[in-house]
Amino acid sequence: MYEFSELGWIKHVVFHPVEGFEDLRWKKKGSIKYAFIIVGLLFIAMVASERLRGFQYTKGNQEIFNVVPLIVQSVVYFATWVIGNWSICTLLDGEGTMKRVCINSAYALVPYIVGTYIGVFLSNFMTLDESVWVNTVEYIGLGWSVVLMVQGMKAVHQYSFSKTILSIVLTLVAMLIILFLAVLLISLFQQVYAFFYQIYTEITYRIRG
Amino acid sequence: MNKLKKMMSIVLGAGLVLSATSVSAFADEPYVSYNYDAWYDAVPSQSGYRVDEVVSGSSMNLLRLSTPGDDLFMSENASATISNAKDLFYEPELDEFWIADSGNNRILRLDKDLKLVGAYDKLKDSVIESFNDPTGLYVTISDGKPVVYIADTANARAVRAIAVSSTEMISDQEFVKPETDLYNSKTFNPTKVLADSGGNVYAVESSITQGAVQFAPNGEFTGFYGANRVEVTAAVIAQKVWRMFASNEQLASMERNVNVEFANFDVDNEGFIYTVTEAANASQDAVKKLNPAGYNIWNTNAGNSYKFGDLVEFTTAEVDPNFATRLTDLVVSDNMNINVLDYESGRVFQYDQENNLLFVFGSKNSTSDQKGTFIAPNAVESRGDKIYVIDGKKNDITIFVETQFGRIVHEAAGLYAEGKYEEAKDPWEEVLSRDGGYWLAYMGLGKAELNSGNYEKAMDYFEYAEADVSYDNAYQYYREEVISKYFTAAIIVLVVIVIAIIVLRILFKKGIIGKKAKAKGGK
Repeated sequence: MYEFSELGWIKHVVFHPVEGFEDLRWKKKGSIKYAFIIVGLLFIAMVASERLRGFQYTKGNQEIFNVVPLIVQSVVYFATWVIGNWSICTLLDGEGTMKRVCINSAYALVPYIVGTYIGVFLSNFMTLDESVWVNTVEYIGLGWSVVLMVQGMKAVHQYSFSKTILSIVLTLVAMLIILFLAVLLISLFQQVYAFFYQIYTEITYRIRG
Repeated sequence: MNKLKKMMSIVLGAGLVLSATSVSAFADEPYVSYNYDAWYDAVPSQSGYRVDEVVSGSSMNLLRLSTPGDDLFMSENASATISNAKDLFYEPELDEFWIADSGNNRILRLDKDLKLVGAYDKLKDSVIESFNDPTGLYVTISDGKPVVYIADTANARAVRAIAVSSTEMISDQEFVKPETDLYNSKTFNPTKVLADSGGNVYAVESSITQGAVQFAPNGEFTGFYGANRVEVTAAVIAQKVWRMFASNEQLASMERNVNVEFANFDVDNEGFIYTVTEAANASQDAVKKLNPAGYNIWNTNAGNSYKFGDLVEFTTAEVDPNFATRLTDLVVSDNMNINVLDYESGRVFQYDQENNLLFVFGSKNSTSDQKGTFIAPNAVESRGDKIYVIDGKKNDITIFVETQFGRIVHEAAGLYAEGKYEEAKDPWEEVLSRDGGYWLAYMGLGKAELNSGNYEKAMDYFEYAEADVSYDNAYQYYREEVISKYFTAAIIVLVVIVIAIIVLRILFKKGIIGKKAKAKGGK
């Protein structure tokens, strides 16, 4: 039926929100490599949105820039989304493997990323009065991505529409739990580290005399 | 060899002298000068004011009051110092200072050099002759005679009196507790008093939250003026919700959310009344500029934010968690700058009419009793380029005089406020060469460049000033300029490209170039 290159498949999926992901699934196409590239581009888009906007669109203190929250908002959220969705949908008779979930989710993000890039670019040539254009472009990208995400999850797990929505809500809950546990784990390990560090200093004091 | 030694000694000696003088030159003010940048971070800045002089009771010649035979003689044991003075007022027409010497229950009258020229401890033609804790003072001139408004706090009255001589004051009208249902407080102990050009009297009473108590010139109570708003906090909203469900008994026992009363006011030479709220860290209505109807001209609802005093959450809170800002007095100086005195930190904050912070100076006493530090700064006054602060515990008046830097900033800010941006350009550049972090200078230069059509330069300045709306303005003009400049060129290039594409397509279709051509050639 369809024969595309990997990039061609991404284009096909993005421009065919209804059938694209089904085609992808039947043809067993989609590349994990491109999925990772897209997530990388998402991270870059977030940095660009923070740093490269026209001056009149920059908000907040530009003296301070911290990349860690942006990594969390892009890469970490994406990873928890994929893990959470896979965990939930495995229990709910979903068909998708973790790899397929990852590929579909990443492909669904493409309009949002493109919208952000265009918005950032436009903001360098737009006055504040014309900010409606920038916002429109970015919101269209975001909305498109949401639609694709629902379609992608629906296709990968072969769910009905309502079940897809349910699974997405549950996935968000799962993400919260995962992040909560991660924070808990990190703080606990910090205490373990502090404990061993104290033992180490104690021993060094004893050895020194 | 000898010559060399001589030279060396001369050089060394000169060096010593130079270093000695430079040490005295660095005997700096006892406070750190700072200003706020666009992100409300405190950044070091040049001093706009330095301490000129500290005047105590003895240098005001207060000894005359207890010297028999002196024409200002009051009594044998009249104090030769001021004591817990609560108010200081400058009357420009006579060029005189008036002090409410609250602790000694008297009113002092000083000339422009703060030398005593009059003293009053009695009020003729009045039921209560003596003063009792007079804390507020306002003076106008009528028929060449000073008309003095006194908030005689502990006597529960405000008085309009006429100073007929340097020791005699005749009561003209007393303003006492209004006997009407509108006035719902049990007491009337006015702390500050003010009169407008129509003779209406405004008195601040700390238990009244509806604003200042307003009287007609004949002593009749006419209402309240310029109340603060209730600050909307989470607690206030929560209470509003609870009130909807509470029974009448519960409602009665609930505490009510009332606004904070302002503590002090001043009137500028255009007749606008400014109020200042002393409550700690008042973030809303801390300083207001009121129109005759009592509405705040600096309207925060219009989207502008007006910040006064130290921005606690950003700066001092890190050093001292108990820090609070308590703005106790303000004065509008001749050049329309607003000087706000913070009782807690002893700092005077000077703002222009657009709420741009110009200078911060003064300090609370540290361990050393230095000039320019206060224990209880009670009132601030201004005369010309000088700022006077009266201290209720050290019992003296500190005079601040503007520095060279202060003079340049005032010149520039004055021109800027009048909209003469281009004229203000030179002084602003001078300001920047002395203090490269002075935020308002970038704003001023940006507007100057914008006005004279150098949009790109204006954009640079506005970028330094972090002023995105002004930048946007400049950018709009800049973009128009660029487009109109390159419009024809861009159209020509566009047309050429379109024609080229069309021609190439035709050629391609006809097989003159491209694959077909190659295929043909292959055959």
